[in-house]
Amino acid sequence: MLVIRRRAGEGFLIGPDIEIAVLDVSPTRVKIGILAPGALPIVRKEVLPTRQENLAASRNTPPHTIAWLSRKLSQCGAG
Amino acid sequence: MPRLVSKYFGELDYSTEAAFQFPEGIPAFEDQTAFAFLDQPQTHPLVFMQSLGNPGLCFITVPVFVADPAYRPDLSPEDLALLGLSPGPPPQIGADILCLTLVTVSEHADPTVNLASPIVLNLRNRKGVQAIQPSAGYSVRHPLLAQEDLVPCS
Repeated sequence: MLVIRRRAGEGFLIGPDIEIAVLDVSPTRVKIGILAPGALPIVRKEVLPTRQENLAASRNTPPHTIAWLSRKLSQCGAG
Repeated sequence: MPRLVSKYFGELDYSTEAAFQFPEGIPAFEDQTAFAFLDQPQTHPLVFMQSLGNPGLCFITVPVFVADPAYRPDLSPEDLALLGLSPGPPPQIGADILCLTLVTVSEHADPTVNLASPIVLNLRNRKGVQAIQPSAGYSVRHPLLAQEDLVPCS
């Protein structure tokens, strides 16, 4: 991994189209500005597993599986 | 009463009380900003999170206590702002907010729930968010049925 040191107010470039600016630094957080082409997706890294799981959860579930799941979960009584 | 076309139940009347705005959508579905939460008697305790913009998009959810009775969502300042909640004392599940978790059902594995990213609904202004909890140690694939400790329904 390439490591570079930057202060607030400084920045760097990735290729010809992407500019990253360090806007503010506190003891626990950095505020980063990104200038990039609009078509380029930018996601927070911790969002990735949720994104993948949401795609999996959005797939079609057969009616008999829904009925089975609901039965399993309500076996404890009230239903 | 407004009517919607649902993925699993065909056309349905629904209460406006069941509709929630998601200002930022949810990850991978950022353009879907309105969902109705449908609790049908025949599929209780499942709650169906039906997109109001796309009839073909519907998530299966359960109230989070069904998967983990001790669960407490940890809401980031950003999520609190999206929900219109103030940072002060934590909101009460049931009174101020509802907390649901998305169920993933696949053919070859037991159903799992995403405890790392619960769906949190503000009952007072009908706003919703998927609140990602990166540091709480919850899994995006927590087994829903594997344990024998299913909560007795009350």
